[in-house]
Amino acid sequence: MPIRILSLPDKDLRYALDCMGVDVLIALSICSKRTKKLVKSSNRKIHRHIVHLDENYTCFDICESERVFQPKTDRIYFNVYYTWAVLDQGNGLEVWIKNEFTQSDWIAHFLSIFNEPTIPVLVIENVSLSYLDSVTQFIPKVRILNISERCSNGLTRKAFLKLAPIARFVQVANYSSENDISQFLSLNLRDLDFYDGENPFKVTSVDLLAVNIEDLSIEYANITERELNRFLKLWMKRNHTFYRPKSIRLTLEDEEIELNHQEVFKGVQYQTVDHKLRLKRGDGKELTFFVEEDVIVFEFT
Amino acid sequence: MSSTEQGTSSAAPAEPTTAPESAAAPEVPESFYYVHGKDKVVHKVSAGALQHSALIHGMISNLGYTEEQAKANPFPFENIDGDILQMVVDWCNQHKGKPTPPEDTNLPKQKEKLFDLVLAVNYLEIKELLTYCCKQVAMMVKGKSPEEIREIWMIPTDAEDEAAEKEAKKRAGKEAAGETAAAAGDAK
Repeated sequence: MPIRILSLPDKDLRYALDCMGVDVLIALSICSKRTKKLVKSSNRKIHRHIVHLDENYTCFDICESERVFQPKTDRIYFNVYYTWAVLDQGNGLEVWIKNEFTQSDWIAHFLSIFNEPTIPVLVIENVSLSYLDSVTQFIPKVRILNISERCSNGLTRKAFLKLAPIARFVQVANYSSENDISQFLSLNLRDLDFYDGENPFKVTSVDLLAVNIEDLSIEYANITERELNRFLKLWMKRNHTFYRPKSIRLTLEDEEIELNHQEVFKGVQYQTVDHKLRLKRGDGKELTFFVEEDVIVFEFT
Repeated sequence: MSSTEQGTSSAAPAEPTTAPESAAAPEVPESFYYVHGKDKVVHKVSAGALQHSALIHGMISNLGYTEEQAKANPFPFENIDGDILQMVVDWCNQHKGKPTPPEDTNLPKQKEKLFDLVLAVNYLEIKELLTYCCKQVAMMVKGKSPEEIREIWMIPTDAEDEAAEKEAKKRAGKEAAGETAAAAGDAK
């Protein structure tokens, strides 16, 4: 029962493409250059497109649905090993072999057929340092870089330094608080989230002044009122000095913080506007300080 | 509400078989039209069923045929195989006067005819049936590997595509050269 699909009238072919599942589109896209172009031109929108980088394989976690909790059958896991690829759609595994495709070819192919200029989310799993060295050579730009909790501190550090510059947002899932995070704060980045669910990161006024990231979030942070006060005073004194952050969010372990405002704002002039405290520097720059449940927020304008 | 006559186009279509009539149906007599495909077998179809086809509906509106004229002049669709036209007519009859559901179980199951059916339905501009057919085409390869898809959908390899392209270019070049030569001959 063969059917010459490429000979169908354009409109019908487009409609048939619209009716196809993502798994079929992927399979069709690797049939030939012509079918790849066709799939690309279908402009299929993928809402969840995560690339997991593991030691022996790369996993593409793909879902079209916008729903936050998708049923398993809506999602596709496409695992690429050295010489073969496995498609898992929740109802059985299927093995495809495309010998001439390397992992870098697969990444480029997926980005191309779904018209993604960058890898939407790249998750670094537990890979060796040498493997990380080799993969960083072919990773294109990344929108969200997630360094998973499975990574050791050494790997986290290396992955961060190598890949953060090509990412728009960076999430570090579990970097041990025993390690100094200040070395990461001075990098020129758009968005950085640090998370350690067990041990809060120790943050000082020097760390906050060294931040060169537009939006920084640290969860959980350990900072004293004295350090906060020192930071506010030093920030006030740095007239006409470039300070990049637009916002800094420090999540504390305590669910309800009872900050000693007197100590935090000792010797600092401020105004209260809509329950927020506003500091204004001589050069016109403003800092707004407020507490949202367990989060201390600094906003800079 | 249709009958099919196993005859030739020259033969006059037979009288329609009596159709079951709904008790609530209005007393307005329904008009019928006649179509035939490549095999010249004439199908009698009600105007209501033909509403599905934008092409035929347009033809009917423009022609303003009486029933007698319609009987004497079946619409010829020489580019559509008889069995395909039969499938289309059956579908139109089954869906006469009612909106088509999102999933149509009455869709013809003959997958080997699907390609011709899509072309016919596209030509006759039957939007709903075209939608179902395209869905059916897409479903043919659900769960298939790229190699199986290549086979089912007769997808040429890159090498075959390149060869075909070369051939097409060569042909176009020859045709262009022929035209130039002809134009030069005319000028002389």
